[in-house]
Amino acid sequence: MARSGSNRSRLLLVTLLVSSLLLITLDLRGVSLISGSRSAAQTVLSPIQKATSDIFAPVGRFLSDVKNFGKTKAEIQDLRTANARLKKQAVLNADIKGQLTQLRKVLDLAGRGGYKVVSARVIGRGSASTFSQTITLDAGSSSGIRNNMTVISENGLVGVVKSVTVNSSIVLLMSDPTFRIGVRVARSQSVGVLIGQGTNTYNLELLDPAGSLQIGDSLISIGSDNNRPFIPGLPVGVVTKVDHTETLLTQSATVKSFSNLNDLGIVSVVIQAPTTAPSKPINPTPNPTVTVMVTPVPAPSPSISASPTPSPSTSAKQAKK
Amino acid sequence: MSSVRLGVSSAILFFVFVIQESIISIVHLPISGFSLYLAVLVCLIALEDHNGSVVMGFIGGLVLDLSPTSQSPFGQWALIFTIIGFLVSNNLESVGDFTSQPISFVLFISIGSAFALFIYLVVGLALGENSGSFGHNLLVVAGNFIWTLLFTPLFLPVIRRLRELTLTSRERV
Repeated sequence: MARSGSNRSRLLLVTLLVSSLLLITLDLRGVSLISGSRSAAQTVLSPIQKATSDIFAPVGRFLSDVKNFGKTKAEIQDLRTANARLKKQAVLNADIKGQLTQLRKVLDLAGRGGYKVVSARVIGRGSASTFSQTITLDAGSSSGIRNNMTVISENGLVGVVKSVTVNSSIVLLMSDPTFRIGVRVARSQSVGVLIGQGTNTYNLELLDPAGSLQIGDSLISIGSDNNRPFIPGLPVGVVTKVDHTETLLTQSATVKSFSNLNDLGIVSVVIQAPTTAPSKPINPTPNPTVTVMVTPVPAPSPSISASPTPSPSTSAKQAKK
Repeated sequence: MSSVRLGVSSAILFFVFVIQESIISIVHLPISGFSLYLAVLVCLIALEDHNGSVVMGFIGGLVLDLSPTSQSPFGQWALIFTIIGFLVSNNLESVGDFTSQPISFVLFISIGSAFALFIYLVVGLALGENSGSFGHNLLVVAGNFIWTLLFTPLFLPVIRRLRELTLTSRERV
């Protein structure tokens, strides 16, 4: 009898293990029934997430505020210092501002207002039982959102839409270890790949071994074909540390993103890139210091007005003035 | 394990899954998040009999596989929790020593949850998934262990009571 029970247990174990492996195989092979089950779960969960978000979001925000209390104090101090510095620069900037406005028109930079976006509320975050870094939005295909669309916050890139249902969508955050984006160093025009690390910092690998990298360099997205998954000209992050390892074939650096992914409340999904923008918005000429205009803390350098290679149109306009 | 109890336990697990995905995931805890679902599932597996722990592991894993934010293949959690269920069923007497004392049971659940996450990483690695740096993952597992250790005493009596309600008269004996 005991042996029979033991055999039954073994048979049960083998059956369940084989079933699990079969499910994994089917999913990896892309069987729609398996992949559709998650979409169905998302469809069921999103209204509940929406409702609970309304109820519990203040609690979450309160906990977040308590957690970041010390940090917020320090940030206020930093902002006060920055504000005082900016006030001093305001007079100097008045002259540069006019030129910046002209440059902006000439370059037709894909500025924030140029994108056709759908704003959505963050109603959930990636489960703690998975290692993926995602957020759930309360807008889906009914709002025009599709897979592989760029998601931005007020400060820059946030991530890319991974899956969509009628009323919700899941966004893969740029901090996810599987996240990769082609970026360009604004100052030197070197091209590289930014890789998520699962934390607040990112790894940048330059494709050009002779490319130039400095601390404080701003990174902007290169963009993809048909602007999906990435639109070009989007502020991505700033270099905080450059790794000078001579044994490596490529240069690498540590990057901090412009967007604070821990405090996302409202984000925008770019459903259409600006039609007036050129197909390759990050034009090597004129001077690409234009990134200054889209960084969260704009600090336009006087070198903009003394651009070494101004575009003919810019010069012409300035001459007219 | 009766089929009725299997259904009720599955319903409880799905309910906890909904709470995990819709409420707990909103709260952004330091270090890393807390998984109520993992803790409850480990608790239920530990309280089951020989076959029950394996079946509960499989069903619990399947529910967890439904997580829309998961990037792992469907069935990975089912595989992991079937293995964990098997390990528990093979060491039922040793596990019983833990489940009889509340403090040691809390510790068991915390270690079990962390172990499940660790196995998830190992299986993910075997399937060619990119889960990020080792240090970060270690931090996530450690964070989950700490939060589970802190929060489990709050809900453990509820889970035990709920489970007792699902027992048939024969199973009670």
